[in-house]
Amino acid sequence: MNGDVATIGRGTVVRGRITGAANLEILGRVEGEVEVDGDVVLDARGLAAASLSGRRVTIRGAVRGDLVATESIVLEDGARVVGDVRAPRVAIATGALVRGYVQTGDAPAASSTARARPAASAATPRAANVSATASAPRTPPRAAPAPVPSPAARPAPSAPARPVATAIAGSHAAPSSNGSQASQPSQPSQTERTPPRAPSAHAPVHAPAAAPKGPPPPVMPALKKGAKGAMSKKRA
Amino acid sequence: MASTVIGAGITIDGEITSDEDVVVQGTVRGKLTARDGVTVEPGAVVEADVSGGPLTVAGSITGNITSTDRVDLQPGAKVIGNVKAARITISDGAQFKGNVDMDV
Amino acid sequence: MAQTRSSARSGSSGAGEARIGAGARVRGRIAGDGALTVEGHVEGDVALRGELTVAEGGEIHADTIEAEALVVSGVVEGELRVSGVVRAMAGSRVRGNVTGGASLALDDGAQFAGRIDAEFDLPAELLESSGGSPGRRR
Repeated sequence: MNGDVATIGRGTVVRGRITGAANLEILGRVEGEVEVDGDVVLDARGLAAASLSGRRVTIRGAVRGDLVATESIVLEDGARVVGDVRAPRVAIATGALVRGYVQTGDAPAASSTARARPAASAATPRAANVSATASAPRTPPRAAPAPVPSPAARPAPSAPARPVATAIAGSHAAPSSNGSQASQPSQPSQTERTPPRAPSAHAPVHAPAAAPKGPPPPVMPALKKGAKGAMSKKRA
Repeated sequence: MASTVIGAGITIDGEITSDEDVVVQGTVRGKLTARDGVTVEPGAVVEADVSGGPLTVAGSITGNITSTDRVDLQPGAKVIGNVKAARITISDGAQFKGNVDMDV
Repeated sequence: MAQTRSSARSGSSGAGEARIGAGARVRGRIAGDGALTVEGHVEGDVALRGELTVAEGGEIHADTIEAEALVVSGVVEGELRVSGVVRAMAGSRVRGNVTGGASLALDDGAQFAGRIDAEFDLPAELLESSGGSPGRRR
């Protein structure tokens, strides 16, 4: 991908689909879908009635659509977003307003905006949902699916781990279409977030640390810092 | 200087409407309407009807072209479509196939 | 580790710098007025009329966590019924839907999963359904 920057000027409206290996700056208005390999910046006065997908997405304006990035999403002060926000790293400034589901962790495939939803719903049982009570059911399911499907689904368990890890590191080779190559071989949807790495195996599902009897403590406590994989794995 | 630049790596499938000028270096399929100038650079591929002010074409356009000003096909340009403009220039080396209507 | 069962009331005498120390484990419901800082482990709902701070290393696992504001550097899980700001600092892990009208601020490096429904209107041009993203009505 070259360092091309494409600009949708302030007086321009694009209705349709924007794709490509370039960075995109939106000063005007976009309706439809944006899926680029580079960075996407929505100007403070820019408007998007579209899903936006890129490597690093920065929003300063208003969006009605889902935001997906392979590296990071930043909602700056003044941003207004109605839609889901998913990326390995998400930063939301104090003055940014969001209405939707926000999730940090595993890089969903850039073109997975559609898949992301099924993934979310599939993972809904615990992921989307809140209550700690969900944590109870969560733990067991996690244990099972995590290790099993991963290796099974993937041709080379370790291989996917790399790409995903890579994806998370933001240095993936072919970002857009696969996001985590791992997601392809494995299952559609949720696999994007599927615990690719071995760590999931040892990531104590039954957090030994958080032994507490009562509500089975979700793995979260036990997770080491940076075990984004584990966190996302939960969603799997 | 254009305010809207569709860079070389970009593909837009849909409609572009602008009240400024537009420069296309990438691919546009659908429809392009600008109030000011439109420049289709070498390497750009436009499969759409294009209308705007002064049009400068060095890339490829497949579609009808309507200009409120002049249409300039530069060497290397490839246009397949009808052109409706008050003035038109087809440079040596430009390829053109279509009708020209200068009765604007 | 100190274990406190059932309800624990935090300093209701207003100002109260209530704190659940790093070595403490609470299982049960916590309710009170004033600010509360959690450095230890809490399992159970929290209903606080004040600002709740979960320090690094601190954890709260609950069905519902109610507070006027929430600042997390540790781990929090539960429905976050907050009226003010929910702020997740770098290194924190937060999971739960944010309800109660709170606004959400995530620092880069915070891990978060949950829904947020801030109340605001999009600019008029975006309110008309212009066939943008797969019409998801929110």
